[in-house]
Amino acid sequence: MANKVFSVKEISKSFGSEKNGNYMEVIKNISMDIYEKEFIVILGNSGCGKSTYLKILGGIESATTGSMELNGENIGACIPPEKLKKFGFVFQNNNLLPWRTAEGNLRIMLKIMKLKGEQWEKRIDEMLEIVGLLDYKKVYPHELSGGMKQRVGIARALVHDPDILILDQPLGALDAITRKMLSYELLNIWKKTQKTIVMVTNNVDEAILLANRIFVLSNKPAVITHEIEVDIPVEERNTMIGQNARYNELREQINNIIRATR
Amino acid sequence: MKKKSRISSVAAPVVSFLLIFFIWEMACVVNEIPAWFLPKPTEIFKSMVVDFPEFWPHILVTLEVVLIGFLIAIPVGLTIATLVTSSPLLNAAMSPYITFLVTTPLISLIPLLMLMMGYGLNMRITTVVIQSFAVINMNACTGFNNVPVIRKELMQSMGASPVKTFVKMTLPSAATDIFTGLRLAAIFATTTCISVEYSAGNTGLGSQIIKYSQYLKTTQSFACIFYVTIIGLIMYSLISIAQKKIVSWKE
Repeated sequence: MANKVFSVKEISKSFGSEKNGNYMEVIKNISMDIYEKEFIVILGNSGCGKSTYLKILGGIESATTGSMELNGENIGACIPPEKLKKFGFVFQNNNLLPWRTAEGNLRIMLKIMKLKGEQWEKRIDEMLEIVGLLDYKKVYPHELSGGMKQRVGIARALVHDPDILILDQPLGALDAITRKMLSYELLNIWKKTQKTIVMVTNNVDEAILLANRIFVLSNKPAVITHEIEVDIPVEERNTMIGQNARYNELREQINNIIRATR
Repeated sequence: MKKKSRISSVAAPVVSFLLIFFIWEMACVVNEIPAWFLPKPTEIFKSMVVDFPEFWPHILVTLEVVLIGFLIAIPVGLTIATLVTSSPLLNAAMSPYITFLVTTPLISLIPLLMLMMGYGLNMRITTVVIQSFAVINMNACTGFNNVPVIRKELMQSMGASPVKTFVKMTLPSAATDIFTGLRLAAIFATTTCISVEYSAGNTGLGSQIIKYSQYLKTTQSFACIFYVTIIGLIMYSLISIAQKKIVSWKE
């Protein structure tokens, strides 16, 4: 296997305090090694704490205990601000700024990360091209469809050239048809950009289509109950994947696990 | 279709405006109402033009107080709102006083302020600032407090500094609420200014309205009222235009 890019060591997160009686453990002792160019999918029921886990990975929240390691360097329980450049975060409901055009939503990322110059300006166009929206770069979010907005959201998370792309149920807010189409598109984006990706979803089909490895989380407090290697070659992952025997086998296996998850 | 609706949106208020003044005029003529009781609109408009040299210095005084007061109130209101909403503790400690300031009729403070500061411009401007900054502040606080959590998370995921977060995200997110505050403040500023002029000094349109009605020169009194309305309207529409220019997006 390739280089280990990111590793998570026994991370836990809790809210409130025992004294006030509102103590709640959301995630418990999650450890995970992530290798270069891997596509990791985290599966779990809604409300299990998978979004909280992802917010810790994206530097939005800090872990209560545990630590993380980025390229072999220990960075503690919270991603320090200067390391945020290594991560790109895609939110569930696109989270575009409505007063900025598609292009402007990408540019603010570069501005805040202080990435200036010709090559970054060019990268805005490249990323919009990758998500197929170069013609819409001057368009405001309210004029775009739900799927298009989310594609801009993905382009924004890629524009500063992060090492790791983090996706929090990126297709969750979309209708079924758009969702299906965009999941194939995500596969293409992964192939084209060669990024390491960590994605959270509650959709088993999506998980098998995209993942190298799937982690299944239990309900609150979330612990990893299963780790499943998806051994379907990349060439066979396309719209015909439904006829793949291994795909159906995995699908059955994971659905059984999810059903038994409490 | 669009053009037609634009024409009617301009024509409808003009027609209703003319109609109302026509009915008013006719009512005065038919019932032979004396001018000291209710002047005819035509006489009021005539006075607005003929007596303009007499009104002009007072229009300037009122305009000066309203504009300076309003322009000071904007940064004061926004700054306090920013400070207050930046910490939950300050927010809890300050918000009752802001509500007091908005709900206390400022007219009740005017005698006190007169005692402390005299009749001059400073006192008038202070009153206008106190009254209008509170509305700006209250609406800006609402806007700042209603910024979606998910947008704050976006800025965090980018590692944005507090200042950048405020300028690039919080301010635009709250823009609509801020403009609501500004529009209300413009009205408050005009109202407060006239109220102060009623009771303090002998300059400004407010003092003239009192003076003319005491002499039963109701026509001139009405002319001054119409000038006050015009000042209020201009303020209101300038802010509306600015809002349309600045807040051009849809949420």
